[in-house]
Amino acid sequence: MRIAAGVDVGSTQTKAVIMADNGDVKILARALVDTGANVQRAAERAFDACCQQAGLHSVEVGFVVGTGYGRYKIAFGNTQMTEITCHAKGASFLCPGTRTVIDMGGQDSKAISVGAHGEVLDFVMNDKCAAGTGRFLANSAEVMGISLDEVGPLSLQAQHPVKMATVCTVFVESDILSYLAQGKSGEDILGGVHIAIAKRTLSLARRLNIEPEITMTGGVARNIGMVHALEQVLGRKMLVSPDAQFIGAAGAALFALEKMDQSFESSIWRGDHAISGGH
Amino acid sequence: MTEKKEYRGSIHQQQKDLMLAWYEQLDHAADSGDPPTVCMMISGNCVELLEGFGAVPIYPEVNALQLAIRHQSLDPILAAEELGYAADNCAYVKADIGCILKGIAPTGGKLPTPTLILCNFVGCNTYLKWFEHLAKLQRSPLYVIDVPFMRADQPSRADVEYVVKQLQETVKKLEEITGRRFDHDRFRQAVECSARSEELWSQIKHLARRTPSPFDAYFDAITLMGPLYVYRAKPEGVEFFEAALAELQAKSDTGHGVYEKENFRVVIEGPPPYPYFRTFRDMFAKWQACAVASTYSTVGGLWEFGFRHDPDKLFESVAMHMIAQNVTNRNFLQRYEQIRRYVEDWNADGIIIHFVKSCRLFSAGQGDMRDYFTKQLGVPTLYIESDLEDPRYFAEAQTRNRIDAFFESLEHARATASARA
Amino acid sequence: MSLFERTFDICAGLDFPSVHEWKQAHPDSKVIAYFPVYAPVELIHAAGMLPVGLSGAGDRLDIQHADARFGSFICSIVKTTLEMGLTGHLEPFDGFLFSTICDSARNLCFVMKRNFPAMYVDFLHLPHNPSSPAAAEFLMEEYRRVLGELERLGNCKVSDDALRRAIRLYNRSRTLIRELYELRRQNPEKLPTSELYQFVRLGNFLTVEEHIAQLEQGLEQFRSASSRRRDSIRIVVEGSFCEQPPLALIRLIEEAGCYVVDDDFVIGQSWFDSDIPTDGDPLLALATSYLDRSVYSSVRHDFRKPRWDGLVEKVRRTKADAVLFLIAKFCEPAYFDYVPYKQELERAGVPHLQLEFEEKSFTFDRLRTEVETFVESLVFD
Repeated sequence: MRIAAGVDVGSTQTKAVIMADNGDVKILARALVDTGANVQRAAERAFDACCQQAGLHSVEVGFVVGTGYGRYKIAFGNTQMTEITCHAKGASFLCPGTRTVIDMGGQDSKAISVGAHGEVLDFVMNDKCAAGTGRFLANSAEVMGISLDEVGPLSLQAQHPVKMATVCTVFVESDILSYLAQGKSGEDILGGVHIAIAKRTLSLARRLNIEPEITMTGGVARNIGMVHALEQVLGRKMLVSPDAQFIGAAGAALFALEKMDQSFESSIWRGDHAISGGH
Repeated sequence: MTEKKEYRGSIHQQQKDLMLAWYEQLDHAADSGDPPTVCMMISGNCVELLEGFGAVPIYPEVNALQLAIRHQSLDPILAAEELGYAADNCAYVKADIGCILKGIAPTGGKLPTPTLILCNFVGCNTYLKWFEHLAKLQRSPLYVIDVPFMRADQPSRADVEYVVKQLQETVKKLEEITGRRFDHDRFRQAVECSARSEELWSQIKHLARRTPSPFDAYFDAITLMGPLYVYRAKPEGVEFFEAALAELQAKSDTGHGVYEKENFRVVIEGPPPYPYFRTFRDMFAKWQACAVASTYSTVGGLWEFGFRHDPDKLFESVAMHMIAQNVTNRNFLQRYEQIRRYVEDWNADGIIIHFVKSCRLFSAGQGDMRDYFTKQLGVPTLYIESDLEDPRYFAEAQTRNRIDAFFESLEHARATASARA
Repeated sequence: MSLFERTFDICAGLDFPSVHEWKQAHPDSKVIAYFPVYAPVELIHAAGMLPVGLSGAGDRLDIQHADARFGSFICSIVKTTLEMGLTGHLEPFDGFLFSTICDSARNLCFVMKRNFPAMYVDFLHLPHNPSSPAAAEFLMEEYRRVLGELERLGNCKVSDDALRRAIRLYNRSRTLIRELYELRRQNPEKLPTSELYQFVRLGNFLTVEEHIAQLEQGLEQFRSASSRRRDSIRIVVEGSFCEQPPLALIRLIEEAGCYVVDDDFVIGQSWFDSDIPTDGDPLLALATSYLDRSVYSSVRHDFRKPRWDGLVEKVRRTKADAVLFLIAKFCEPAYFDYVPYKQELERAGVPHLQLEFEEKSFTFDRLRTEVETFVESLVFD
């Protein structure tokens, strides 16, 4: 069995995925840590945690592809690929039929046009401002004094979502405070925030040909309010994998499987047993 | 795999020497008031007219870009912002005004107070205001040559006549101010030199159609194009372009390209991030991607499609160049056409659109340009953003990421296509 | 909302009922939109067509498609105008006229051309060297060219008499606007700017004949109004010549303690400082008037007389206490002019404040605080 890994070092979180191929490709394990200040350490921690989860020794992993902003800092990586390329690949694998990826991450958002084999046909990115990213939502939550986890569910309860003129994270704070002062409910404000972000994100995506299936990836995909707002503005349902956060790392792992020496075989077949004895 | 080769033949040094000599002339004029100096914009410039007075051009844009390349643009920009210029004003203007406020020049010498500030208004509205501000700051006389915009495919008779009349008024104005008579013969010789320089530069540009191209038609072209607007109307300019063509031709004849293997051929649209010129170039060098054509290198004139100054139609051909043969006075759709021609005739794999915050002339609407090329023509197109002059607006990691993803996808597409074949 | 305000609100909306009404009454005629600031509306009128000044979509449209075409650092009006086109809101218009306003607007013209090939989209090159004796001839030719396009579009011929008639009508509307502005200068308490604004901007949507009627009515109404004079400061508003501020912002400025004694809102409607002659060649009259009778503006360049002198003169003439620069976000021409304007105001000892706005804003707390602080600083000296 051939075993490879992908490590995705993002701005806020680092993810690792280990995949195995014994005729059938599948995910063996996944792990997630906060990136923090030391990118190299974060990559190591994520990878180690993933190996542990898979019950593997790191030496069992035949090839590692690094991706994300920190990809050049992964000392143990064999090669690097951009997260755009990895997201396309990973989304195609986890959500078959994907032709468009909408990724909303910690500090950037992007849309990718994907071909039938998971290849990138075209892409657009918004990486110079926080609009449409996890940071924006985190800021909004902070201004309103609620936790980030509540933000999505609360937004779903909006009766009359407020109109947000801007999604500039610097100015939206004062807009939120303005609305709170006017007595608008938290639900309505969050509803307005989510819709504004959804519109802004889709505006970015429209630079491509948006074709179904549309798959949402990245940390913000766990926000049901965001998924709902996007589907509302899109006018159709999207695919959201339970592994939405791991799609980049999964894509990287898939590339790792492709690129590794075709003759590499793990000498120990892993099921759910832990390794006994080292190599 | 990463190659940092760039063209550094003898003409690179020659170009530097010529530009330094020009700055020395300006420094001399600052002290002695001689020769007369005329401030102009690069795009659609009428440097031939200046030859008729023995006048030397001052190009504020060159001051600005020289400052940026030497990593000296931030201080003058800040000085201008203190005066009241906005964060969103063109940073070229801010850098230039800032360096006048601070009394510095990019080469360390002095810049003269211009004898005449001649605004050749060719499309860019910012040019008009820039020169108004310079005239106010430096207390020099201002004259605006209003060049009608290319709102149809060709200039009209009325457009050309209007410009010709203003050129003649400019001549009278310069006679008044300098006390010199306009030397019609020198003007004619200047136009002849221009025609010759243009022919040579056009041939150089066409060398890039070969595979591999012997030079990078963005990074190298930008480095080499200074003499095109300072010396095109002078014998020194002709000599320089003759040498450049010979050298590049020789290189091309031996099959040498910019990189060991020319992996990708691209057309680049938009000005470069001057404060990060080297870094930006390396991002393409990593992929052995060579620019075979660029729009920015045609601000000093569009010579590759056949237009030449005509010594038999002196004022008229100068007017024609100012109206129709530079990138800024041509309309946005004509720029799409220009790029499309490059992609097809220069055989490019894709287009890089570099949006610059400062320049709305170049950048406003580039999203529509991308839409045209990707959706209508199916040409792979990458969109990246920064600024041409202000060092604060360059996100290195993000830019590198986008460029890497673009070439990854091109590589992938190539691999898939050949696997299927 | 008063009946008048409701009328304005409808006219300034995206359904263009007044345009549809006109089209029904003139089924064979065309409607030509123009991107304000200045457009030679007399040409359009003389061709039997309806000129409509379109200042983007204000706060009525979300930009969902246009920012894929125009990136960041571009003013909202350029994007909302394109958005209107991409969402079918420009369907009532047969043509769209642009001119030398700024680089963004110019690129917009050609993007519109590409995306709406069925529409007559044209770019008018207005001269920036009025010192040249050749400029009048050039502009006449340019007007003749556009007139030719209109004639082709409308399958009609435009006579000199039709042009003179149009000039006479627009002279009248401009005179009435001048009188309203003069009334406001003398008695600002009689004529709130938020109301004057609506009267003037209505001219962008109505026929000139209807606009004249509205203006005459308004003049009478305001002349006979009685209102108590407040202790407000007199200000000149400069910089809102293209993208328009929300009405709520104009009201806010007045509520914060300002009397606007002059402004450049919708300046295209009052572009000339005196009547255009109606004798002789009408195109020549229009051209020479553009060169010699235009008010100063950030979109026009005349090195014979700097705009900053014009601003200082305006402040003196209107006995203003201060200048408020109300600049649309990312408006390059306004940002540039701000520097010499500011320098000259400082030389003349005139206080000033700069504020940025976007046509699409729903909360104004920050702006309110800034204006109030400014007023306080002048009143409690």
